[in-house]
Amino acid sequence: MALIEVAGIHVRFGDRVVLESIDLAVPEGEFHGLMGPNGAGKTTFFNVLTGRVRPSRGSIRLDGEDVTGLGSHRIAAKGVARSFQIMTLFDDFTARENVMVGLPGFRARGFDMRHAADGDHGFAKEASEVLTTVGLADKGDVRAKDLSYGDRRALEIAVALGQNPRVLCLDEPTSGLGSDGVRRLAALVGRLKGKLTIVAIEHDMEFLFSLADRISVIHWGQVVARGAPHELQQNEWVKRSNLGRFA
Amino acid sequence: MIPTQKSDSERLITPTMLVLFLVLATVPLWIARVGLYPYLGIEILIWSLYALAFNLVLGTAGLPSFGHGAYFGIGAYAFGLCQFNIVANLWICLAAAFVIAGLAGALVALFISHRRGIYYAFMTIAFGQIFWTLAIKSHKVTGGEDGLLKIARLPADLGFASFDLAGNVAFYYFVLIVFALAVIALWRLVHSPYGRVIAAIKQSETRAAHLGYNVWLYKASIFTLSAAVSGFAGGLFAMAQLAAFPDVMSLHQSGYVVMMTLVGGGLVSFWGPVVGVFLFLIARDVIGALTNAWMLYFGLLFMAVVLFRPEGVAGAITAAWQNRSLHSMRQQGGSALRLLFGGERWR
Amino acid sequence: MFDLLPHILNGLTLGLLFALIALGFMLIVGLMEQINLAHGSLFALGAYFAMQLMGPRPPFPPDLAHAWLAMPLGWRYVATLILAPAAVGVVGIAIEFCMRRTYGKDPLYGLLLTFGAAMVIEETIRLTWGTRDYVLQVPQGVSGGFLFGDLIWSTYRFYAAGIAVAIIGLVWLLIEKTSFGATVKAGAHDSEIVRALGINLTRLRLLVFVFGTMLAAIAGIIVAPIWGIRPHMGVDAVIPAFLVIVLGGVGSFWGAVVAGLLVGLAVGLTGAYASEWSLLSMYVLLVAVVTVRARGLWGKKSVLEA
Repeated sequence: MALIEVAGIHVRFGDRVVLESIDLAVPEGEFHGLMGPNGAGKTTFFNVLTGRVRPSRGSIRLDGEDVTGLGSHRIAAKGVARSFQIMTLFDDFTARENVMVGLPGFRARGFDMRHAADGDHGFAKEASEVLTTVGLADKGDVRAKDLSYGDRRALEIAVALGQNPRVLCLDEPTSGLGSDGVRRLAALVGRLKGKLTIVAIEHDMEFLFSLADRISVIHWGQVVARGAPHELQQNEWVKRSNLGRFA
Repeated sequence: MIPTQKSDSERLITPTMLVLFLVLATVPLWIARVGLYPYLGIEILIWSLYALAFNLVLGTAGLPSFGHGAYFGIGAYAFGLCQFNIVANLWICLAAAFVIAGLAGALVALFISHRRGIYYAFMTIAFGQIFWTLAIKSHKVTGGEDGLLKIARLPADLGFASFDLAGNVAFYYFVLIVFALAVIALWRLVHSPYGRVIAAIKQSETRAAHLGYNVWLYKASIFTLSAAVSGFAGGLFAMAQLAAFPDVMSLHQSGYVVMMTLVGGGLVSFWGPVVGVFLFLIARDVIGALTNAWMLYFGLLFMAVVLFRPEGVAGAITAAWQNRSLHSMRQQGGSALRLLFGGERWR
Repeated sequence: MFDLLPHILNGLTLGLLFALIALGFMLIVGLMEQINLAHGSLFALGAYFAMQLMGPRPPFPPDLAHAWLAMPLGWRYVATLILAPAAVGVVGIAIEFCMRRTYGKDPLYGLLLTFGAAMVIEETIRLTWGTRDYVLQVPQGVSGGFLFGDLIWSTYRFYAAGIAVAIIGLVWLLIEKTSFGATVKAGAHDSEIVRALGINLTRLRLLVFVFGTMLAAIAGIIVAPIWGIRPHMGVDAVIPAFLVIVLGGVGSFWGAVVAGLLVGLAVGLTGAYASEWSLLSMYVLLVAVVTVRARGLWGKKSVLEA
């Protein structure tokens, strides 16, 4: 049984159909890439997967449990973390505080009003370790808004990693990064691969084709092709639409 | 971040608090000599507590609530009505003020916590007006526009000793002790994991939700808490005034607490609301004695603060104190102000 | 059913007045995404200016005042309908000059700034005219009452409602059917488009704002004979105006008009059966609608909600 099982997802906003009958099964430990042109519905699909948008039809199962229509905080609590294409950080917090708030242990104490948040140094240590994995070890005390663009992208992922998730959803993680940044990111994702299940939306074909186990191509709200990277390169549809030309 | 600040957030009582409490404790000794009067001290403490409670919503959570006077007023009425109809015990009546205002806040929170920006703001105004109208029109319960009169300053019975609070000086010290305890509790609250989560939600509801936080519940709970503490302050105010009047629930007076908080610098500093209340009430008495146009000048001052100093007075003081550049403080004030309405889209 | 008719009519005329009061507020919110909390004070200021102009001591030099007073009441009234809003427009210019510092920042700046401005104007009114009530004289043609059915109807109410319909219609035509309206709509808040079109954005915003304040003043003059003139009238106007906009939904012209009518009907009908609670009905109406609908009746996505 796959960890994520998505069946027949439909999403419509008013009379506009955004997603039409999407199916997806991602086994535990797989790195699954999502690609497709802008406006194809990839981010909407992520929003459905992470509980931000309720599908009009269809079901989502996580480890066999039906999670369709649960709110985003419920889904997050079940171990699904996501990063955002448009960076969504706590700008006035330091990098460490950003990660700290996402730690499951911290969340469990979310309604603790009697102790100092900074009093428990265990959280700070845990957050620092996460920052080290993404290469922000020495930036812990810098405010998120004062970080460089590349560091902010890394923090985006660090916050999601801090949640200690089973499923990590990355929405265009390389967006806006230079070649050096992409290389760093690829190395990071390479290290994570296999340890957790990753679903990533990505436009950078080189990045995706070198890392992903399987890739789904979404167009017009439907999955038009799916397979391992080498299979996809042979796929008529991918060839025709020039999506595979970078690979 | 500055290390000293960090340790402050872990402390139960900070040096600033100690100094403030000590200075406040001397107030009855000299206030008459500078031409003011002890009752003003009582008023300042109570309004400070109210503004601090209000700032949980405005500053800590970034929620634009413009009808907060309702909860202050409900607390005052609850105190009076409890005294008249249930039991004339100070602690029970204050608890009633806290609980009833909290319940009113929770009821409103149910309706508004899924709304944002201008819609949130106007819902708080609408509820404020509803409570205000109810207070004015329910003559039998609240005394209507005449107010609920003859509320007594009940004695503080501690079991082993009982203190008479009828005199202004005795009552001042009682309010000061309560204020000090409340400040310690609020400081803890703001710097607790809960306060941290609220601050996170203020900066990005989306991210907080995807980190597993039930944003609605947090927004509703902080609003309820704020309403309850406002009501508690209202209970004290009923004692101070020996009556409860509907005027504190009006839109005007709800606007004043927003102004005090912003002028003081509540968006960037815990102490901002207190600074604002000091300025506002002392200006009212000092400038008010010279000219009856003091609201005009305060209005102009407020416009100037919004235009030139979004970080408020406390922001400027903190900047000087911590050697942090005023510019960064101003940016922080600006971005906090922006979050109230623009939210994530404008960062 | 027939018993209800006068109340419904009453509610509808009241609703048209609410829509008229909200009109200037709506233009500024809809076209500039700024909340002008001074709207009510400008509304009051319009009424006070008109009262001064129509009263026995017009604010002119002696000779001119003499000539002015010699004019028939009707002429003076029509001239006042132009002069008073123009004077308020000048105040609007002053506010806009402060407010332009806040453009591009959060709309809350504008809201708070105009809250301060409202305080300042209201205090100025209190200091200039005192706290007593005034009455605005109107020409005989529109005052008095008439008999219809078995009831006496106020002529002025119908005149005011008619004016409200006319002004709402004119503003709609101006925005929807003229090139000026198109320009304003295209760019009052989207600076890029306007710059690309080579339009002076600063002037455009000033124009929209001043137009909004003048509409506030006109509403004040029209409503004053019904509500009376007192310092508090500004607050009494700005809250319903704000409410009508939120109820109708930010950015929707007809949403605001319909919301105005709904509020008028709600206030009118509750007024008939429980006059004590008539003002409460509009808040209950708002809470009921906004609890269910995120953006009021027909609101559009806007910076004001985030």
